[in-house]
Amino acid sequence: MKECLLCQVPMRAEVSFDDIILFTRVEPMLICQDCQSAFEKLTGQATCRQCGRRLTVVMENPCYDCQRWQHQISFNFRNVGLYEYNAAMKDYMKRYKFLGDYRLRWLFAKQLGQFALKTKRLLVPIPVTADTMAVRGFNQVTGLLERCHYIEVLRAAQLTKNRRQSEKNRVDRLRLSQPFELVKEKAHLIAGKKVALIDDVYTTGTTIRCAATLLYQAGAASVIGITLAR
Amino acid sequence: MINHISELYGRQLSSLELPSELANLPQLNQRDAIDLKPKLRCARCGAKLNRKQAALPNGQFYCYVCIQMKRMDTLHQLVFIEEPNRFPKKLDALSWDGQLTGLQEVCADMVVDVFKNRKRHLLWAVTGAGKTEMLFKGINWGIAHGKRIAIASPRIDVCIELFPRIQAAFQKTPVILLHGKSEQPYKYSQIVICTTHQLLRFYHAFDILIIDEVDVFPFSGNPMLHFGVNNAIKPNGAMLYLTATPDQHLLSQVRRKRLSISYLPIRYHGHLLPEPTIIKIKNLSHQITLKSLNKRILKMIAQLISQKQRFLLFVPHIKDLAAVKSAIQQAHIQANFDTVYSADPDRIEKVAAMRNRRLDFIITTTILERGVTFPGTDVLVLKADDAIFSAAALVQIAGRVGRSSERPDGRVLFYCESHCATVRSCQRQIRQMNQRAWRL
Ligand SMILES: [Zn+2]
Ligand SMILES: [Zn+2]
Ligand SMILES: [Zn+2]
Repeated sequence: MKECLLCQVPMRAEVSFDDIILFTRVEPMLICQDCQSAFEKLTGQATCRQCGRRLTVVMENPCYDCQRWQHQISFNFRNVGLYEYNAAMKDYMKRYKFLGDYRLRWLFAKQLGQFALKTKRLLVPIPVTADTMAVRGFNQVTGLLERCHYIEVLRAAQLTKNRRQSEKNRVDRLRLSQPFELVKEKAHLIAGKKVALIDDVYTTGTTIRCAATLLYQAGAASVIGITLAR
Repeated sequence: MINHISELYGRQLSSLELPSELANLPQLNQRDAIDLKPKLRCARCGAKLNRKQAALPNGQFYCYVCIQMKRMDTLHQLVFIEEPNRFPKKLDALSWDGQLTGLQEVCADMVVDVFKNRKRHLLWAVTGAGKTEMLFKGINWGIAHGKRIAIASPRIDVCIELFPRIQAAFQKTPVILLHGKSEQPYKYSQIVICTTHQLLRFYHAFDILIIDEVDVFPFSGNPMLHFGVNNAIKPNGAMLYLTATPDQHLLSQVRRKRLSISYLPIRYHGHLLPEPTIIKIKNLSHQITLKSLNKRILKMIAQLISQKQRFLLFVPHIKDLAAVKSAIQQAHIQANFDTVYSADPDRIEKVAAMRNRRLDFIITTTILERGVTFPGTDVLVLKADDAIFSAAALVQIAGRVGRSSERPDGRVLFYCESHCATVRSCQRQIRQMNQRAWRL
């Protein structure tokens, strides 16, 4: 019997009557129903039109954070998040990125890939540093894009991260200089094109806006963001 | 992260955990964390890996089986330093001044012999035999000869209960307790008390390795933990298994002469094991789901309460706890009681309440089957014939009774629908031990 990739509980292969009658291909289940239901989808919900966060009744659209961004950068940026960055998603990121269980990319690769392809844009993943690559052995974003064609036109600027992103506060992050640089040989591929930047999580929005700035400099026609979690 | 070189003695860690100033030590050994040939296999936990699941980009691989204890991968080496046994050889390390019975003394000498002659041995001692005290003489010998010693158990509760007792008995010797939930930082210590999972972090470390309650899940039938044990012990170290209920795997090793065996069939106070009484109740499991209990059971509970006789009430499943609780409440039995199960957030407090006599009885799943002792209690098991209770579990449950010399006997009542094989096997095992005890 197979085990749930997240909680290790043994799972029965549940095949519905329809699957048998209609000969639909059954996707192998990776996680159990309980773990599955802990993730909250953002698609179909009321979200901020700029950052994609879930809006509560008291919030304006765009949200307060995004209104502040309008004063700080020259272009309007739109991001779509697929899932709420809740406790289950934080735990997922911990296992996928920090423990380094690369198999866990399969949980969302199909869904994120399909969503990204539907935009008909060129897909550009947010890169990881050489240090991260040496320790982790993978870029969590390209892992999620396994089923898609994408262009790695960005790379991490050659300075080591001395602290983890999550440990820095917003002010710190805003003060950071550009963390990325363009890969010169590939820059021409995005000139005049519509681009979607892909990242795993949108937290403050600084990272993805820094990346968008560079893509506009390289001549991209328009840039949006797609993140697994918001 | 490693802070001092001694933290690598007899341990195996990912080179990632090594600070750069320790990376070029001449004593440092390295080996591949993942073997690529002949089969893809993790060198720490021994798991055979599926290539597709274990693949990282760029032809690298990782182990997804033992990943909870920091990842093993082809990007990093396993580093270790050979165990140098850097311990002062102390005579008279034992600060315990209790007395062993004559039979315990015989076993204690046998333990010393196992350690001295680096044997692989199974000590089959009944519940309540006083196993821990019988180890003291052997551990004392080990300390006098500068040996490194580990006592490992699959059960975290057993480790937690063992630690203060070992510490008290060997006050001048450093003892460390390691388990998944402990915050205590690692320190090089002569005596290690840990869960069997933690042994995966050691490599050829122990001259003496004692495994307590070896027959228990998750150890029994888990190849990863067996692999870990064989890596943690020195190639010619002494191995002592302790249990009251050996499983088939151990007994077959005994038959094939790969393991020597000795028995301690009698409790430290010299009394026989209480034998279970079987009481058949029709439709017992159906009654439980209907939140009602047979009159005979309720009458027995009421009687025990009125006699101020404390007891443990075992049920097969977590969902039975609430049902049995409400059945007892509906019967208007006036008593202080509670329910407990393994993932219960208040588990430790509830067990303490039972121990401090603030509860008259406690309704529990199999988690209280071993490792915990409440002096002078009786035991009732509802649905003793349920598949969840193995014969070993039933022997352990019966073994909760009659532990103290003040009350060396007591009631063990098994309520079942049928007299099934596990119940019969439990009865047979207890009778055999008692017969062995008679012959002494
Ligand atoms: Zn699950
Ligand atoms: Zn917003
Ligand atoms: Zn492993």
